[in-house]
Amino acid sequence: EVEETLKRIQSHKGVIGTMVVNAEGIPIRTTLDNSTTVQYAGLLHHLTMKAKSTVRDIDPQNDLTFLRIRSKKHEIMVAPDKEYLLIVIQNPCE
Amino acid sequence: KSCQTASIATANASAQAWSHVDAQVQTEAPVPVSMQPLSRYDMSRLTAFLRRVETMVIRELNKNWQSHAFDGFEVNWTEQQQMVSCLYTLGYPPAQAQGLHVTGISWNSTGSVVACAYGRLDHGDWSTLKSFVCAWNLDRRGLSPRQPSAVVEVPSAVLCLAFHPTQPSHVAGGLYSGEVLVWDLSRPEDPLLWCTGLTDDTHTDPVSQVVWLPEPGHSHRFQVLSVATDGKVLLWRGVGAGQLQLTEGFALVMQQLPRSTKLKKHSRGETEVGATAVAFSSFDPRLFILGTEGGFPLKCSLAAGEAALTRMPSSVPLRAPAQFTFSPHGGPVYSVSCSPFHRNLFLSAGTDGHVHLYSMLQAPPLTSLQLSLKYLFAVRWSPVRPLVFAAASGEGDVLLFDLQKSSQKPTVLIKQTQDESPVYCLEFNSQQTQLLAAGDAQGTVKVWQLSTEFVEQGPREAEDLDRLAAEVAT
Repeated sequence: EVEETLKRIQSHKGVIGTMVVNAEGIPIRTTLDNSTTVQYAGLLHHLTMKAKSTVRDIDPQNDLTFLRIRSKKHEIMVAPDKEYLLIVIQNPCE
Repeated sequence: KSCQTASIATANASAQAWSHVDAQVQTEAPVPVSMQPLSRYDMSRLTAFLRRVETMVIRELNKNWQSHAFDGFEVNWTEQQQMVSCLYTLGYPPAQAQGLHVTGISWNSTGSVVACAYGRLDHGDWSTLKSFVCAWNLDRRGLSPRQPSAVVEVPSAVLCLAFHPTQPSHVAGGLYSGEVLVWDLSRPEDPLLWCTGLTDDTHTDPVSQVVWLPEPGHSHRFQVLSVATDGKVLLWRGVGAGQLQLTEGFALVMQQLPRSTKLKKHSRGETEVGATAVAFSSFDPRLFILGTEGGFPLKCSLAAGEAALTRMPSSVPLRAPAQFTFSPHGGPVYSVSCSPFHRNLFLSAGTDGHVHLYSMLQAPPLTSLQLSLKYLFAVRWSPVRPLVFAAASGEGDVLLFDLQKSSQKPTVLIKQTQDESPVYCLEFNSQQTQLLAAGDAQGTVKVWQLSTEFVEQGPREAEDLDRLAAEVAT
């Protein structure tokens, strides 16, 4: 069930990598190699926490639902949750 | 009426530190990261989480794929540099006074030190001449262009140089006498670390190029690979008291070359094939390309098992490494470079003034560009832009080629020498990617600062490179 969902996401157009990270920033499932995964997991976990606290500070009734970072080469999407983070890296068409 | 300030009170006091503490700081080699083993987690919670977010993520992925919101949107974070400029002109006057050329250049692992080797490339009776290896630390204040931060005197002309990939002060050099030496530039009183000496194993011809390779199994220890025109490719390891010991060896023999392309007929017998340049693939650590005196690049592998048909003495059995022969240049190949972005592409440059772009999948080159009416001495891919390479010409120019802009003529032509004396070597700095160092026949090293267009990757460059490599002729 978990594998099928991740496979569905990974097979989408332009997706380079998919990973699931737990609440401590430790990767649980990934389609990329170890060192890249560890790097993405650590850095994006921090950034997501910072983004969440930014949204909450501006309006305590509000909360973070989705985080997207667009860079020159690709787009990183983070779906946050209480216990897990789903990170997808996509190479959008230009 | 008059006024006057009240007298100002002054007092003297002195202060002195009573106790002090000493501390030393040193960086350690970075510990390789490893992913945590899959700890026990709640499968059902994970499934529920994925079910919750899946639709939202798929919707965003689809929207992103069709979105034109960012078309043509570019952000400039750094100051744009429009022109190529010469940052430093470095030279060592005693070497220049002897008329020595800069034969090899290398940046160290931190990107702040550039070292050059002095020697002569027009082989004459220079084998007995003393020569030098000089290094300048560009990040140090008070950098003096005529006074290197480290100078090593070498008893024979040095023809090639390579810094250690992780140790910032270790550098290996190949000599005219066939020896390979490794120096430690941080020890000015006795820099020589290891040397091969003159044994049966040493090269019998001048060493054309040295390269550092990671030891199989120990990724933080390195060996030195040397190639020379005697046809041998030798792998050395430093053991014990300063001795470089031969661990593996390969020999190129005409008869054992794969017949993938027609070569000029040679006399029978075990004719050696002189190797003039070597480049390792960034994707397969055992695959390497050799440039030869016959003008044909060879695809070789460290894992080759066949024994070489040579009578050259050696303490280690010599093997034949060649697996594929590419179509030749019109003259000897002086430099080869494997693309850091594509596993099949490599460049070769030779005395016919042409640069050939080869794909490892076929013998004839994908393109052949005439860059000079004289010889070409060096060619290097850019470490940051997949479609850019630089070449050093016998007319004293450094040519920068951007395959995205033009596939026929160089994008930028930098005149390094005023009297058209050749530029013999060049190297990109992989840490400070806007720097390119080139050494010429007048004994000067010029460090060029490249314009921003040569430093930043464009959005579709990697795909353009793949498309170029896929143009394999049928």
